[in-house]
Amino acid sequence: MKALGRVIASAAAAVMLIQCGCSGKRIVHSQKEQTVISLSWWGNDPRTEYTLKAVQIFQELNPDIKVNCNYSEWSGYEARNRIRMVSDTEADVMQINVGWLDDFSEDGKGYYDLSKVSDKIDLSNFSENTLKYGTRNNILNAIPIAMNTETVYINKTVYEAHGLDIPQTWDDLFRAADILSKDGIYPLCGPSKAIWLFSIAYAEQKTGKSFLDDKGKIAFSSDEFQVMIDFYVEMVERRVIPKIEDFKKVKVENGTCAGAVAWVSDAINYFGSSIKAGNEVVAANYTAFTPEDSGAGWYEKPATLYAISKNTTHPEESALLLDFLLNNKEMALLQGVEKGIPISKSAQEYLDEEGLLSGLQYEASVVMDSNTKLREMSPLLEDTDLINDFNDVANLVLFDKATSEEAAQQLFEMIGEEFEMT
Amino acid sequence: MAKREQSRPSLKNIRGLQLAMIIGYAVIIILVIFIVTNLAVKKTDKVLKNKVISITSSLNVQMKLNMDSYISRMETIGTLAFGSEDAYTYDATDPNNDEYEALNTEKAITEKLYSLCIMDNFCDYGIVYRNNRTVGKISNGTSSLMGDDMYEELSSMITRQRTHDGWSAGYKDDHKRIYYVKRVHDNAVLVMSFYASELESVFDNPETLDDMDIRLVDSNYDILYSSRGEEIGNQLTGTIYERVKDKTSATVMDNTYLVSVNSCVDDWYVICSIPTRIILKEKNDIQYYIYMAGLIAAVLAVLFGTIMSVRLTRPVKQAVSILDSKANTDQLTGILNKLAFNDRVSGRLDSSLTIERHALILLDLDNFKGINDTLGHAYGDSVLAKTGSILRAEFSTEDFLGRIGGDEFCVFVNCSPSDDMDYDEFIREKCETLCRAYWKYYSGDRKDYKISASIGVSFFPDHGSTFEELYSASDKALYKAKKSGKDAYAFYDGNDSEEVDGQ
Repeated sequence: MKALGRVIASAAAAVMLIQCGCSGKRIVHSQKEQTVISLSWWGNDPRTEYTLKAVQIFQELNPDIKVNCNYSEWSGYEARNRIRMVSDTEADVMQINVGWLDDFSEDGKGYYDLSKVSDKIDLSNFSENTLKYGTRNNILNAIPIAMNTETVYINKTVYEAHGLDIPQTWDDLFRAADILSKDGIYPLCGPSKAIWLFSIAYAEQKTGKSFLDDKGKIAFSSDEFQVMIDFYVEMVERRVIPKIEDFKKVKVENGTCAGAVAWVSDAINYFGSSIKAGNEVVAANYTAFTPEDSGAGWYEKPATLYAISKNTTHPEESALLLDFLLNNKEMALLQGVEKGIPISKSAQEYLDEEGLLSGLQYEASVVMDSNTKLREMSPLLEDTDLINDFNDVANLVLFDKATSEEAAQQLFEMIGEEFEMT
Repeated sequence: MAKREQSRPSLKNIRGLQLAMIIGYAVIIILVIFIVTNLAVKKTDKVLKNKVISITSSLNVQMKLNMDSYISRMETIGTLAFGSEDAYTYDATDPNNDEYEALNTEKAITEKLYSLCIMDNFCDYGIVYRNNRTVGKISNGTSSLMGDDMYEELSSMITRQRTHDGWSAGYKDDHKRIYYVKRVHDNAVLVMSFYASELESVFDNPETLDDMDIRLVDSNYDILYSSRGEEIGNQLTGTIYERVKDKTSATVMDNTYLVSVNSCVDDWYVICSIPTRIILKEKNDIQYYIYMAGLIAAVLAVLFGTIMSVRLTRPVKQAVSILDSKANTDQLTGILNKLAFNDRVSGRLDSSLTIERHALILLDLDNFKGINDTLGHAYGDSVLAKTGSILRAEFSTEDFLGRIGGDEFCVFVNCSPSDDMDYDEFIREKCETLCRAYWKYYSGDRKDYKISASIGVSFFPDHGSTFEELYSASDKALYKAKKSGKDAYAFYDGNDSEEVDGQ
């Protein structure tokens, strides 16, 4: 019976222990801890869609990292980026324009030094020369995605329907306007920056003078600006192009505009619908006075670059994302040649393997790569204030508020107040 | 063997009682545990379901509030456009506009609108005029989608007469963007749009509810947003639709789905759903554990009860066994007493078939009175005890041995000869062995007094089928043996002749 008593006592004690354990136990439930980083970019719907998909894939591959996305179309994005940068609220990983490196990181300290996270980024996919585009003050700030230049795209179907060849020279364009305008069609169109660079190319070829001197200062005088203004006004008045302000009203996709000056990376944005509708669209040679001069006065640059914020508190996670965006196979296949032919060797190989190195943007990239006259674009050439000032004075001439000489002088003085001149 | 055989009936009763107690106890315990377990499971089930419904309902309300808050913020940003006088006074369709002035005014409005939407992921934030001229941010996507009908299409999205605005999604089956449109004046509307994917931040649910599907549907139940991205643009159908149809605020739970719905802006609905088997997975686990605990408790209780029962009944069984033994056994010889012997033999005969053969051997010590008188009662008792030993040694445990009188013993032979030996011969040998046993141990050592026994034998079924009939026959045979000079045995032969079988 003693043994039985011991068994009962033990059982009772065990029950009491369990009871005590159940009633007073503190329950701790761990939450999933994630490192949150942000990614910002600009672009049209297709870019946004594939980038969002890519981010999803990245998060699946790295479940401990959550990526918040900031994105919009280009319009207004530059100002938004400036606000973000100067207020220290920029994204951890950013798609940037090459010009922003000079704006925010002339000393190389405006963006994160990517050499500190080179163990996370496969830099062997990039040559030293291409990395120089993203280097300031010997500090690697950004890595270029693809090369880009303003390109002349021509809807060959519309041109041929009117008995026109693909334009090679400025005169070809004016002749095309004489014919196409009868049907309410513009031979070309383009947004403000494209027309600005188009006009610079014309002025450089006509005057033989470069917009910038060797030191990067603006070398154009009021005379060269007058050439640009006259050229722009003539193009508008002879219906080679619509006014910059009317660019959005003309329809590239339905043939109201039979060509465009646009970045390599924008080809499908503008002509995707036309191509789907059965039109043949080609990347023409860069317009010049003679076909042999094609490329003179035209500039190339990295399409866009990826950089990491200097303020990031998660450099390693950001570097993982940056490497994914540049070198990952799934990202490369999603992106295709939307930004042009990728510079990353791995990404190129993936596209080649899948037969994705084709299409209008690929053709534009081939035209760019095969032209030896293209020069490296200075960020100054893309300055928004310069472009807006040019548009304002050109309108003065268009609406008979000033002569082209007065407008050019006004432009020269305005620029002289804001920028260093030769 | 005799003791064991004798105690069997009483112990059988006790064992039966014990078994009944154990079974009864087990049934009661199992029944009680089953009832308690079921009550616990049902209560847990009810509490858990109520909690899950409550949490899901709260989550859905939170999602609705998130959506309302997001919508409200968007509308506020839209309203900010009216902070610029030019934005609501300028009319791009006015034929009296100076083109240059109009251009500059539009630029000014555009700059103002850009500054208002600069930090948000808007696709569109601009004003569209009746002549399709636009200011502000109007995306290529929207321009391509609506084309020359942009103004009319956007105007048709205005549904609220109080504030002259409205929300729309799925325009021309394109569910990438969600539009907000507000009338600026008779010839202009403000349009804002954002990617539907922006709603991910609105409907971001906790990791513990990863399996919860969250959808935003319009009044036609077209899916505007879904955590399952691929179904955006489809119409909500099937099981979820059946549960939320015509409901504006409800949570429904059945064996298949838990669904919660709440209305938000413009007759849109936020719907959260999750399969019941997933949300109540823990409930099934708890049920399993409760039933397992109940089963283990029942087994332990029955085991414990059985051990206790065995421990409690053991002393009783021992006492009964002793008492039983004393009641049936002759204490001096260790064999059955007369009553017990009589019962056992009668019982055995009742169940015997007539093809069986048994013998009833009646043994009486010769001149026992003389032994007592001459050698003393103690010696007489030792002779009786020795007789018991002789009988046990000679007969098997299957045979019944009994002392049925002072010096009278009886053996009921149950067993049969092992070989082809004649049964009579088998019994004859037994009788001769018995007689010799007395010669060996008593005649030899105590020369002064001869101890012997006379034996009478009868057979079943030849000489009777009851104990009384057989006893009578054996007694007659014994009488013959006595008559013949004692120390002899005789078989009953059916008549009263005095011839004996052996001496």
